[in-house]
Amino acid sequence: MSERNGEVRIGVYICHCGVNIAATVDVRAVAEYAATLPGVVVARDYKYMCSDPGQEMIQQDIRDHQLNRVVVAACSPSLHERTFRNAVERAGLNPFFFQMVNIREHDSWVHSDREAATEKAKDLVRAAVMRVYFHKPLERRRVPVNPDVLVVGGGIAGIHAALTVANSGKRVYLVEREPTIGGHMAQFDKTFPTLDCAACILTPKMSAVKEHPNITLWTYSEVVSVDGSVGDYRVVVKRKPRYVREDLCVGCLQCIEACVFKEAKFDDEFNLGLSKRKPIYIPFPQATPKVVVIDPEACIQLRTGKCKKACLEACAERGAIDFEQKETYEEIHVGSIIIATGFQTFDPRRMPQYGYGKYPNVYTTLEVERLVNASGPTGGQVVTRDGRVPESVGIILCVGSRDERTNRWCSRVCCMTSLKLAHLIKEHTGAEVFIFYIDMRAAGKGYEEFYQRVLNEGVHFVRGRVAEITDWAMDPSEEGKLIARVEDTNTGFVRRIPLDMVVLAVGLEPQFDALNVQRLFGIGCSMDGFFLERHPKLAPSPTYTDGIFIAGVCQGPKDIPDSVMQAGYAAAEAIALADTGFFELEPNTAYIIAEECSGCKTCIPLCPYQAITFNEEKKKAFVNEVLCKGCGTCVAACPSGSIKQNLFEDEEIFSEIEGVLAYA
Amino acid sequence: MERQIRYQREANLEWARQFTKQPGGERLLSCIQCGTCSGACPLSIYMDLTPRQVIALVREGFREDALRSKTIWLCASCYACAVECPQKISITDIMYRLKREAIRSNLYPKRFPIPVLAREFCEMVRRRGRNSEFWVVFRMALRSNPFVLFSMARTGWDLWRTGRLSLRKERIRRINDLQFIPAASKEVD
Repeated sequence: MSERNGEVRIGVYICHCGVNIAATVDVRAVAEYAATLPGVVVARDYKYMCSDPGQEMIQQDIRDHQLNRVVVAACSPSLHERTFRNAVERAGLNPFFFQMVNIREHDSWVHSDREAATEKAKDLVRAAVMRVYFHKPLERRRVPVNPDVLVVGGGIAGIHAALTVANSGKRVYLVEREPTIGGHMAQFDKTFPTLDCAACILTPKMSAVKEHPNITLWTYSEVVSVDGSVGDYRVVVKRKPRYVREDLCVGCLQCIEACVFKEAKFDDEFNLGLSKRKPIYIPFPQATPKVVVIDPEACIQLRTGKCKKACLEACAERGAIDFEQKETYEEIHVGSIIIATGFQTFDPRRMPQYGYGKYPNVYTTLEVERLVNASGPTGGQVVTRDGRVPESVGIILCVGSRDERTNRWCSRVCCMTSLKLAHLIKEHTGAEVFIFYIDMRAAGKGYEEFYQRVLNEGVHFVRGRVAEITDWAMDPSEEGKLIARVEDTNTGFVRRIPLDMVVLAVGLEPQFDALNVQRLFGIGCSMDGFFLERHPKLAPSPTYTDGIFIAGVCQGPKDIPDSVMQAGYAAAEAIALADTGFFELEPNTAYIIAEECSGCKTCIPLCPYQAITFNEEKKKAFVNEVLCKGCGTCVAACPSGSIKQNLFEDEEIFSEIEGVLAYA
Repeated sequence: MERQIRYQREANLEWARQFTKQPGGERLLSCIQCGTCSGACPLSIYMDLTPRQVIALVREGFREDALRSKTIWLCASCYACAVECPQKISITDIMYRLKREAIRSNLYPKRFPIPVLAREFCEMVRRRGRNSEFWVVFRMALRSNPFVLFSMARTGWDLWRTGRLSLRKERIRRINDLQFIPAASKEVD
């Protein structure tokens, strides 16, 4: 070992983590072993190293034993590396003279053999001790943070986040793919458990977004590229042509009246095809912005150029309709980004046993939301597709949830949605309502009470997952009905229940293009395809990419109150970042030893962050430390070995490898 | 036991609705099918249906299944279920309501001693105004399992010899006045 750093005095600390580590690893033996390693002056074990007394112990040792290196063997560095670096720094040591060893996730949690796990912990500790020997003092760099914030997605989460950030005085860009903001919540009739009407609580927030001086609202727009990093993201937004000028349209809707199509004959997306619209339309009366949009697939003028353009005449005074409109691109600079891109509902065609798409009277919960809605396609009448008021309605839970063949997760909202719809259907029609459930999950404030209310209204709760929906009558009483075949595990019977209307409580799943969004913003996905938070409990909105936060169902299924809470949390993080004004970067960046660089440019196209530039004058490459994320790609690729990386220097890595391989 | 599919026409939802509106049945709809009643019941291990199942059957309108079950007759009215029920359902009261209806509709399990005993007891009190133990037990045995009389004979003989068993059929005076009470209660029910 080199003596480059003077006399090296290492302190090693082994954490019990309660029993998380101590139950599987003999922590005392590991500490005793560590004390025998070269350079180690003191080695201890303690119940909770991350606690105040644990940190105090390290700081006291630094003073008493003149330690200049610290190794802590505990949990994952993503949880507590910062904690211990700060502790070491407060005791007057450079924080990068610290090395963390993960003997919890990498050892005690994944092994059961106590003896072998203890040996592994010793190996890992030895590797860290040998590596920390070569550590160098490093400086954290600060980058300035642009206070502007981009919010992607205009559902309830995006709306709430945008309003919160805007209210703090920051500029917000809200980008929404659809022609209006509001998201799924705008389609709901009432909201559980209080039954407030969704529109009554949502539309004021929508117009607040429109009116807010600090919010730039771009609907019918999509983010197409994201460059830069925390504090300075450069984002390009594509604004799709709606063939109507937003600045001129006042939403009088006379163009829709005038359209050459006298009958509406195209599926209305907002009503999920339960009603029709014209080629020129407004998604729903409270759409924000209240601007019409022309569907280029349906409009005769846009398809053939041979229309008498009645809409143009109707709008002659304002001249808002513009068939020549082209898509435009806006570039903006923001310091942080909140992603709230929401979800899509499970397509029940994937479960043919329920006959969705085959039997007209099988609906999804979202369709029934529109049916019970007073401004929906039937004006709030719950009627089957053949116009009858149903006498019996069955609601099937967990369609596309809790199922290894489709989606494994619980979608969390369907139980409450179904209770609400059962209540509303009973109220509207007086029908017998059956809820087919596996477990009723009514966890939330006032939710269990709502469940009790619906129980007492006489809704039938049949515990059992429906095996199939069929129209094959086995008894004269079943003629003309849909029959649910189910084991009712409450009564202990296999039952056949004839129904006039079947409602499938479809689960929530990531948007079809979630993977593209994930790549575009450089964030992670969890196993289920929802966006990955930095920590499932302690950082459920920040991502592993600094300055990018996630909110709402794009992070995982949740209901409206939880989405709003997470949106507020994401907004608070964005505001805190903007108000701090700077962001401290990890110093694990790459740097080039100019004398050794041959100017081959191999590294430049390899860098995923465009952090390397070429100095034509000196014929040398140069790493921009603000952009460098420390991925190490260039370090490995450099043919002359002239790129090095802080915290991952050759001697550090080689001694670590030597340490982990040297059998005790 | 052979399992049969239950058609919905076999379910009497109107009966279930009436049941939950009458005394004792009001909180039945609150049942969350947790099974605490069956767990608390000291006799549920001898029952053909657990108390939880009986409640599910009533709620879903399977009247005959509920009324024919032995469960309602095995209930010893200890009220353990009602004490433990998280929804405060008076399960014992529900059992009584079902027992009454089973007797009235002649749907109780035939030759099962407990409903026979209940029926004979009521019948004797109604006719004579007094319960003569020997005759109630004798009639119960005859109508459920007459062979039980042989095993009881020795005990009966000993009781009779020491003057503890009377073969006399007792009756009260003014039996008509007594019959007024059940008639009035029937009107309330």
